[in-house]
Amino acid sequence: MKKTTDQCLGAETAAILESISDGVFTVDSNWRIMSFNRAAETITGIRRREAIGKPCSEVFRASMCEADCALRHTVKTGKPIINRSTFIVDAEGRRIPISVSTAILKDKKGRVVGGAETFRDLSLVEELRKELEERFQMGDIVSRCAVMRHIFDILPQVAASDATVLIQGETGTGKELLARAIHSLSTRKTKPFVAVNCGALPDTLLESELFGYVKGAFTGAANDKPGRFALAEGGTLFLDEIGDISPALQVRLLRVLQDKRYEPLGGTETLLANVRIVTATHRDLSAQIRKGAFREDLFYRLNVVKVELPPLRKRKEDIPLLVDHFIARFNRLQGKVVTGVSPDVMALLMAHDYPGNVRELENILERAFVLCSSGSIERVHLPPEHGGRESSPPSEGNTIAAQAHSAEAQAIRMALERTGFNRLAAARALGLHKSTFFRKVKALGLTLPEHDGRSRRKST
Amino acid sequence: MKVALTTWNERISPVFDAARQVLVLDVQNNQVVARHEETLPGTEPQAQAERLAAIAPHTLICGAISQPMADLLAAKNIRIIAFTAGSVAEVVSAWLAGALPNPALAMPGCYGRRGRFRGQGCGRGMGACFGGRRTM
Repeated sequence: MKKTTDQCLGAETAAILESISDGVFTVDSNWRIMSFNRAAETITGIRRREAIGKPCSEVFRASMCEADCALRHTVKTGKPIINRSTFIVDAEGRRIPISVSTAILKDKKGRVVGGAETFRDLSLVEELRKELEERFQMGDIVSRCAVMRHIFDILPQVAASDATVLIQGETGTGKELLARAIHSLSTRKTKPFVAVNCGALPDTLLESELFGYVKGAFTGAANDKPGRFALAEGGTLFLDEIGDISPALQVRLLRVLQDKRYEPLGGTETLLANVRIVTATHRDLSAQIRKGAFREDLFYRLNVVKVELPPLRKRKEDIPLLVDHFIARFNRLQGKVVTGVSPDVMALLMAHDYPGNVRELENILERAFVLCSSGSIERVHLPPEHGGRESSPPSEGNTIAAQAHSAEAQAIRMALERTGFNRLAAARALGLHKSTFFRKVKALGLTLPEHDGRSRRKST
Repeated sequence: MKVALTTWNERISPVFDAARQVLVLDVQNNQVVARHEETLPGTEPQAQAERLAAIAPHTLICGAISQPMADLLAAKNIRIIAFTAGSVAEVVSAWLAGALPNPALAMPGCYGRRGRFRGQGCGRGMGACFGGRRTM
């Protein structure tokens, strides 16, 4: 006959176990459940009477049961395990994250008669962790830097308005991603998002592309063609590289922004444009105005809400977050199991200046994914220009000192390359005295090329 | 027809997501005509699903399985009889006799639940069966 919890543990112990919020079960020497408290019933969704007498692995159903059972380890070694993380699978197929602790059960004579396992439901902790992660994400943009957090904070309000937005930022900072985030947070999200790169098309083509044309407007215009304004009707039109458009097109665009009306090329009918305009540029439009290359009145029409995206070199704290984000995405897209980057690679990535910004980091990792399909990305997977010449050192460890050394070595290498291996210029670029520079080169074990870029003489 | 059973210590493995061993049976006219064992990575869901799909079983008989993993296998057109417990011999006999799902061979708390695991192509009331293909 199956024993009740009271019979197994004594009334007092059983009463205590019933009152706690952690799940507790005990097993006999055959790994069959002897007792199962109330919290264990709640967390697993299995009633006590169904659990008692069954193999613990079939009741508990933890991912660690088969290959790395914590209780088995404790019974074998006599050492308890505290707070090991795993997940269990309930009858609905939900993965419930838990932490597990184990202990040995002995009889009065000190003989091992089984084991006890306590487990805590970490679902709430996991939810909070995810919520915290979401705070660092807006659409497809991830960041924890203060400037970006401010953008994330104001973005819902910006999106809710219908005001024209001007996004300024260097190439690769995620201007289009931000425009998409604005669209997806706005009331226009169910309508089209149409992106046009104004810098990619010649002026005349861009005009017909934006406003469309009617049949017979020019040679070869055999049919009416709707423009991007018409295609984006009710939605958002994103005009990238707006600083590159000609003065003539600036005038036409100004009219659309002022009157919300336009005429297709060759057309006589005026069309209404119900479109929210988001623009972006990598140029300094104020400087363009001073040079007379950009209309001031158009600038003020576009600059209703201005969002400045900082370059990646000014938010390097985001690099680890972005690396995780891209690795998760490439794993998902390419069906690979890359776990992360080695400390050595992370140090190199942190030391780089990223003239191509986030896009450049994404490309570095995409390239590494071509060569690496599982485990962690090592230096050997990086392109040579990012320090991928050498294979991974055996075990530099991930100490701060090792990472600092690696970053210093990378900075020196890059400074040398930039200055054509002129030692003095490289030292100056790094803000180091030449003797400090040479001491570091020696300490880091770097080999300098035979020729000094300054003198073209053989270095001594 | 190929049937795969995830096994551990002569019993059905407790969690498919972490299972490492598969017994593959070739069944013809309700008789096992060949059997062999295969291994699974037991670590990453995508790799686990890919490996099982490479074995190409018509049906998988396993213990607990998470819903995302079940969805991955369903997408690969593998029929699943999940939340099965018991010795491998008992489960194989029950399968050959057409007696799976079976309350006597179900994991605790998994039989007769009104959950999402209730029969997609299997017996009503068994909280353990779903999949991309129907039985023969």
